[in-house]
Amino acid sequence: MTTARQDRSARPAPSARPARTAAAAGLLAAACVAWAAVPVPGPGIAGDVLLAAAAACAVLGTARLALGPEPGESRTFLDPLARAAQAGADLIRAVPWAEGLLVAVLVLEALHRARPPWHTGLLGAALIAYLFAVHLAESRAAAAVLRPQVPLIAAGLGLLVLAVGAAALPAATGSTADLMAVLAAVAAVVVGGLALPIGTVRR
Amino acid sequence: MTTQRDQTGTGNAGTEAGRVRQVRLAWAPSAHAQRLVTLALAGLIIAVVTRRPEFAGVAAPAVLLLAARRGGPPGQVGVGVRTSAARLTEGQDAELDVMVTGPGEHSVDLIMHPRHAVVPAAGGARPASARDGGRAGGQRGGQPGADGESSLPFQVTRSGRRNLGVLGITLRDRLRLTEGQARIELPAVDCYPRPAAQRSRVVLSRLPSRLGEHPSRSAGEGLEFTGVREFVPGDRQRRINWPATTRLGRLQLNTFAAERTQNVVLIADASSEVGEPGSTPSDLALRGCAAAAGAYLAVRDRVGLVVYQHGVRWIPPGAGSRHYYRIMDLMVANRGVGGPLARARGIARLPRAALPPGALILVFTPLLDRGLVETLRDLRERGFPVLIVDVLNAEPTGSSDSLGGLARRIWRMEQEAIRFSLRELGIPLVRWDGEQSLDEPLAPYTRRVMVSHR
Repeated sequence: MTTARQDRSARPAPSARPARTAAAAGLLAAACVAWAAVPVPGPGIAGDVLLAAAAACAVLGTARLALGPEPGESRTFLDPLARAAQAGADLIRAVPWAEGLLVAVLVLEALHRARPPWHTGLLGAALIAYLFAVHLAESRAAAAVLRPQVPLIAAGLGLLVLAVGAAALPAATGSTADLMAVLAAVAAVVVGGLALPIGTVRR
Repeated sequence: MTTQRDQTGTGNAGTEAGRVRQVRLAWAPSAHAQRLVTLALAGLIIAVVTRRPEFAGVAAPAVLLLAARRGGPPGQVGVGVRTSAARLTEGQDAELDVMVTGPGEHSVDLIMHPRHAVVPAAGGARPASARDGGRAGGQRGGQPGADGESSLPFQVTRSGRRNLGVLGITLRDRLRLTEGQARIELPAVDCYPRPAAQRSRVVLSRLPSRLGEHPSRSAGEGLEFTGVREFVPGDRQRRINWPATTRLGRLQLNTFAAERTQNVVLIADASSEVGEPGSTPSDLALRGCAAAAGAYLAVRDRVGLVVYQHGVRWIPPGAGSRHYYRIMDLMVANRGVGGPLARARGIARLPRAALPPGALILVFTPLLDRGLVETLRDLRERGFPVLIVDVLNAEPTGSSDSLGGLARRIWRMEQEAIRFSLRELGIPLVRWDGEQSLDEPLAPYTRRVMVSHR
């Protein structure tokens, strides 16, 4: 039987690294919102609402990471103000802000019809980075835990580049051709995801 | 799976150490996986709706990660928990050693949710955590099922029998897409009060006829020189004082003081939980008693303890280091239930063994309990030498208007009256704030012997 004891000197400070990762996640969220939103699309209200929603999700998602997990202390003897603050913190912890940010940013990007495909590709890469930063801050883990996922992320980014390249090619005229190109890209992604053995080999 | 562990010197912690219990895990997709699903679905739907292939590319990394997910997580793992020390003292650094067996390739994440008076040493208000203990084991052992052991540092801030809280265990797969969670109750530990500093001792003028280390007034076989007297047949010749003999022309003998032990009974009034938690009169009384017990037992005095709390618990005077631990165990024993009536009845029925005649009675009390004050008066009238250490360090709080101020003044006057009446009975009373050494307030009574007269 093998027993492993953690090297205490190598253990990171319990609060310094999560704070840094949470800050990185907040910066990535702000960058994604700005990248997808600027310039604010059209005179319609949809763009403004989406921008507000994305910004709110970015701020509150970062606040959720900064708050950390529920402390688990008794609230029986808290004064009403402190209890209200705790209830607010619980609400921030309960809502999946990151998911809201993802949807809002992607829809914002989709509203800009004239953008080049590489613009969307960069946004996709930034969103993936944001998701991993959120996960690291949330689970208070070191970046080394993502090592098994690196080949998959690399393959996924490769597919993203292929999709962007396919979109950048001059398309055949007609809406049917556009639809076929999209469906082909979707199929390529799904088949690639299901078939590629990269990273799934048991180590 | 059973695991044998070294239980040497672990005391009550050792009872938990050898037992690895099986804990069932509840598995679910992680929040990370849910976010990846959201990204994949949003990207693919927008790609189809807007007919823009680049959005399908945005979904590609998420789809790849989700497709690589593997099943077959362990349904349960073995968890062994023990504390690094069997006996803790308030504020002492300790570690909770947790061993998780059978996590396979999954990483293990431990979070301690402490209960009252238990503070994770590393994280302050934040739960202490140890990361990837099981994962490290899997990597080093290179085989599934290798064990991981992690240590969670903590402190207990108040004496007593304390439940450490709940341990949250989270297992994550290699890609961190599924999480298995379980919670287990942590064991309780006994935390002794932190003894205050005390080096000097109050010694009575009359000591019982037991061999000890305190020089008494009577002549005996001790080391302390008391005088010279004329030799009488039967005296030991080696004690003849030759210079005095030469000077006076008759045989003179050195005399020495007999060395005796004394009985000390400590009374800890832990009935008042007022003021800041951690520095209440109850805490101060227990810390003072712990210090006094250590100081008197160090010079081979016999020390007994009466804990005046919900009821009355006592241990007769005894000597030795084992007796010190008996005293400390009595302090942290289950406090039970009771009230003023049970206390008054208990203190009135203390047997002779608990209060031997002629014993020095050291009382650590805030003098808030009338029943105890009457008992102290009674003890003094029965001839016991009593010395009170006043540990009251809080005042009633409330409205700051004139009525509240008047009530506080009346309360203060009552307290002064109680202390005055005790002094009038011949009971010395000193004040101790819990911060300074006990030697300072006791100095007037430790510099010379305390006359014990009836």
